[in-house]
Amino acid sequence: MNKRAAKAIITKDIKAISSNIQLWLPMIVVPLFFSLVLPLVLVLPARFTDLSAIGNSDVIMRLFSQLPPGRLRETIFAFPAVQQQIVYFTVNYLFAPFFLLIPLMTASVIGANSFAGEKERKTLETLLFAPLDLNTLFWAKILAAFLPATLLTLICSFLYGIVVNITAYPLFGRLIFPEGNWFLLLLWVSPALSLGTVFVNVFISAKVKGFQEAFQLSGLVILPILGLFIGQLFGILLVSSVFLWWFGAALWFINFLLLKKCGRFLNRDQLFTSQVS
Amino acid sequence: MYLAQEIINLEKVDKSFSGIPVIDNLSFTVRRGEILGFLGPNGTGKTTTIRLLNGVITPDTGRLTVAGFDPVTAGDEVRKRCGVLTESAALYGPMTARENLLFFAELYAVANPARRVEELLDVCGLLPHADKKVAVFSTGMKKRLGIAKALLHQPEILFLDEPTTGLDPEGARALLDYIKELNQRFAVTIVLATHLLPQVEALCHRFIFIDRGRLLAEGTFAELADKYLTTLSLQVETDLTITGTEFRGFLLEKSTPGFLQFKLERKEQIPLLLKELLATGPVYSAKIIGRDLETLYFRIKEEKA
Repeated sequence: MNKRAAKAIITKDIKAISSNIQLWLPMIVVPLFFSLVLPLVLVLPARFTDLSAIGNSDVIMRLFSQLPPGRLRETIFAFPAVQQQIVYFTVNYLFAPFFLLIPLMTASVIGANSFAGEKERKTLETLLFAPLDLNTLFWAKILAAFLPATLLTLICSFLYGIVVNITAYPLFGRLIFPEGNWFLLLLWVSPALSLGTVFVNVFISAKVKGFQEAFQLSGLVILPILGLFIGQLFGILLVSSVFLWWFGAALWFINFLLLKKCGRFLNRDQLFTSQVS
Repeated sequence: MYLAQEIINLEKVDKSFSGIPVIDNLSFTVRRGEILGFLGPNGTGKTTTIRLLNGVITPDTGRLTVAGFDPVTAGDEVRKRCGVLTESAALYGPMTARENLLFFAELYAVANPARRVEELLDVCGLLPHADKKVAVFSTGMKKRLGIAKALLHQPEILFLDEPTTGLDPEGARALLDYIKELNQRFAVTIVLATHLLPQVEALCHRFIFIDRGRLLAEGTFAELADKYLTTLSLQVETDLTITGTEFRGFLLEKSTPGFLQFKLERKEQIPLLLKELLATGPVYSAKIIGRDLETLYFRIKEEKA
């Protein structure tokens, strides 16, 4: 691993994103919506209106009554007011999958740009002419997509936490976020997901001509997470820490397998033949 | 064994893509410090040879040695010693000229990169454009930046693949002058692949002609000309008019107002012909026609076909 070259490639790729407003603006708008606007629209009305008067609230109440015995059920039912129950449940559980979407989307955009972009702009061959071992190139490219995706997720969660705690403080009289499995989600599952998305992008980029196509295809990665989110809504996967541990572990294992498979690209001749010529 | 004067050596190299041979039993050597004209039509394997020599692709069979290393097994050692400019390998359009060079300086582990980049921007006449994005550069500016990139790490060998294509005559001339200077001042060995023969005739010490991945001929211009340009034409500027197809035993090829063109078997016939002409009338100038690289190239191709 050539650290100097790796650092140069990572810096170049991150700069390429930050200097291209068409790339980063759409990429951060949705995460910022999740972390700033969503908690506001949820918590503020909950503080000033009677939620039990709203038609759909009985759906959530019914969901609460079906909660399996355990810490979540006890915590929820310990709150005297329906508002508190709903706000607590939503900010800590219902919205959690959004924070899996953030690393997914970010890693997709950056990953597609990083790999397919290099091929599309005919700069991959220039890199292959440099005294740069492919292991360094490969890891630099992976990190250049993984690091910003993970960092953005952490920043968004931090902002989300601030907004939630500030707006919900009058209702609870204490900080309610983060609770439950947030640390597990952010530090175990989300990085695994980012890395997996980057790997999938490497494969997609190897098969397509340009960045646009790569980005469209990588959108497919988002679908399973949408599934998870819908599952969450219907109360199927009331995310338990055991589930998250295993979900994360499965992702890390898949990453390990993908890593081994990516290793077959680590030959200049093959990389050139499949990507440049 | 690697000989000091041989910096590049190919021995019976074959390379095919999807079953189609691109390089066919190619052998040649390049000597340290020379400018080699690597000539042949487009799509004949010149760029492929450059990729093979830099270890970007591996040969199917045969042996390669570059600067004492095998590009297949010690590719990074070779690439540390070689600078490459090819048409197919681009620089980063959204980045400025300076950013591009600074980036590659890191990849090539250049010591004191900022100073080296400034130096090269100056040498290549890009200092006024250093902070412009490469995407807005003209073809000539991009080529000059590509050469600056190739020179960042002070390579022993410089591979230039069609460096003058897309340049205007002034740009091409300036570039070729600079290539000559590099070779003379820093003893950089230069492999110049091109199909623009007239431009490089005076520049290269030796030539290699390839066609469809095969070596056609190899040598200095004089060696090749003596071997392949067996007949020559002499164009004479004179007031004389000649009727018929012969003048004192010399074959008249063409006659236009003010000019006569003779076909000769050997260059030793030139003074004899001129003597005869001068004895008859005035001669203002005499020029050998067809003793140039282009004619040589077509003659060699004809003969080897």
